[in-house]
Amino acid sequence: MTAIDSVTDTEVFMQLEMAGGHELGHQPGQFIQLSRLGFGEAPFSVCSSPTRPDRFDLCIREVGNLTGAVHRLAVGDWVGVRGPFGKGFPVEKLKGRDVLAIAGGLGIVPLRSLIGYITDRRNACERFVLIYGTKSPSLILFGDEMAGWEKAGLETTVTVDEPDERWQGRTGVITEPLKETDIDPSNAVAILVGPPVMFRFAIAECLNKGLSEDAIFVSLERNFQCGIGKCGHCQINDLYVCQRGPVFCLTELQSRTEAVETWAPGKDQD
Amino acid sequence: MNEGHVISEEELDHLVELFHRQGPVMGVKERKDQPGHYLFDWLNTPEEFVAQYVTTTIPPKKAFFPPNETLFTFDSGDPPKLTNQLPRQENFVLMGVHPCDLAAIDALDAAYTQPPGEVRWPSLRDRSLIVGMDCMPDEYCFCSSVETLDARTSCDMFLTRIGRGYLLEVHTQKGERFLEDITLSPVEEPDLEEARKWRAKKAEAMTAAFDVPVEAFREILKRGGLTEVWRQVAERCYSCGSCNTTCPTCFCFDIVDDFDAGLQSGVRRRTWDSCQLLDFALVAGGHNFREERWQRVRHRWHRKFLYLYEQFGRPYCTGCGRCSRACTADINIVDVTNRLVAFSKSSHE
Repeated sequence: MTAIDSVTDTEVFMQLEMAGGHELGHQPGQFIQLSRLGFGEAPFSVCSSPTRPDRFDLCIREVGNLTGAVHRLAVGDWVGVRGPFGKGFPVEKLKGRDVLAIAGGLGIVPLRSLIGYITDRRNACERFVLIYGTKSPSLILFGDEMAGWEKAGLETTVTVDEPDERWQGRTGVITEPLKETDIDPSNAVAILVGPPVMFRFAIAECLNKGLSEDAIFVSLERNFQCGIGKCGHCQINDLYVCQRGPVFCLTELQSRTEAVETWAPGKDQD
Repeated sequence: MNEGHVISEEELDHLVELFHRQGPVMGVKERKDQPGHYLFDWLNTPEEFVAQYVTTTIPPKKAFFPPNETLFTFDSGDPPKLTNQLPRQENFVLMGVHPCDLAAIDALDAAYTQPPGEVRWPSLRDRSLIVGMDCMPDEYCFCSSVETLDARTSCDMFLTRIGRGYLLEVHTQKGERFLEDITLSPVEEPDLEEARKWRAKKAEAMTAAFDVPVEAFREILKRGGLTEVWRQVAERCYSCGSCNTTCPTCFCFDIVDDFDAGLQSGVRRRTWDSCQLLDFALVAGGHNFREERWQRVRHRWHRKFLYLYEQFGRPYCTGCGRCSRACTADINIVDVTNRLVAFSKSSHE
């Protein structure tokens, strides 16, 4: 571990270097299995771009035993890494297209790997519009990097649900700035990362804007244990998310019922 | 191959002795604490082996996928030290496996070796010799409904009870090699006739059966609209996971770390897991994608008869009936399946 910082009350940002000078060799949007021996192993999204291969970044919220142990680590400590696993963001489909990236809460963490990729390779897409929503201003991640993102040509909007007295930005749910965003639906690709409730409303809004289902991609969180399509924990109906995801095209999920809680409200769940 | 021999009961005892002299043998034993119940376990003496038995509680998959196994030990130093705990490195024999369990081992061969493959299962399979044994069903067995009545896949030899001992089919060269020091008699027509009669009697004795062919049941699940039945079954289910634990084709697992008392060293181990448990599909953010009990009940049926069926071209149920025997709420897999079939028929008429 080459760096570790508390970036909010609940999240740490850390930078890792592989032993022996190896490169992780990941794609934006892929995940790794991180171990702290004795506490276990869990999946985390890589939040840095493969265009900076010497080190890689993770951003981890403290929610349990393992993440608590990870929060107590210091520079120079060792962690175990397996991976990278899964299928990342569809970077090959972004060239010449306008990208509409929508992040809710911790969804910004995996998206940062794509943002870093785009700012390093500005011709990888046309416009890059980022809409990022969090509960409160104190939970905003990578706020100090956003000026740099804008400088590289990204159009960023941040909105919070519960503003504090110093907050001068937008307030309200993510679908509001999404509604206002002017984008050519025939040339746009939407990429959504966030909690289930965000998917439900943001996907409906993307479809409403005229984007087709095959131009909408979502990244899903599951409790991967093995990463090789065997342990069964990540299954959405017949799909192993660690093999076919975590990034899915909406067309792959429409007929499946376990992707996002009540994926098709009112529909018989079977 | 499949060249037949006849082996007497005494010579079969010799064969088990021979196996036991050459290495470990996992075979069927009667439970000391529960007479009339059987288990697969490492034989201490060849005499412990029981040739004729009704299905064991726990399937023989545990020879290749132990319920709880250490993957590596660790010492958290700087840098930390990991010591890989390899699976058993010596050849061993698995003795007395019924056709349903042979089919299940073959099903797990397919699941665990599909790229990216798991390494421990195939390494133990390569070291094993499997001897199959034909059986008579009880009221829970339904192998004729899932086409495993005559399964021989995955076994090296297979035994069927006949008057003058056993009919011995040899299915692999590996199996052939062990027979050099055993006295065998050639097969005669009456022996084959007896074996045929055994199988006919077995098929006749099978009282539990699906009302439709298993392919048709797959299509019924695919068509869906069965929520009402799933909910009814879930009302009785306790989500205890006994069905998964006793299933010969369930292969989901969990990985956990344990510290030693000094909190410096410890182990990472893999244990069997169950999709019926509430937290199986729970993620860190607190979202549970199969929170409702009926969703988990449906998931099990769908894995057995739809998802894995489509992925591997065969149902992942081999008709052993263990889940029905083990169910703490007396939910019977054949009854539920037939209820789903009937419900689907009535709602699509």
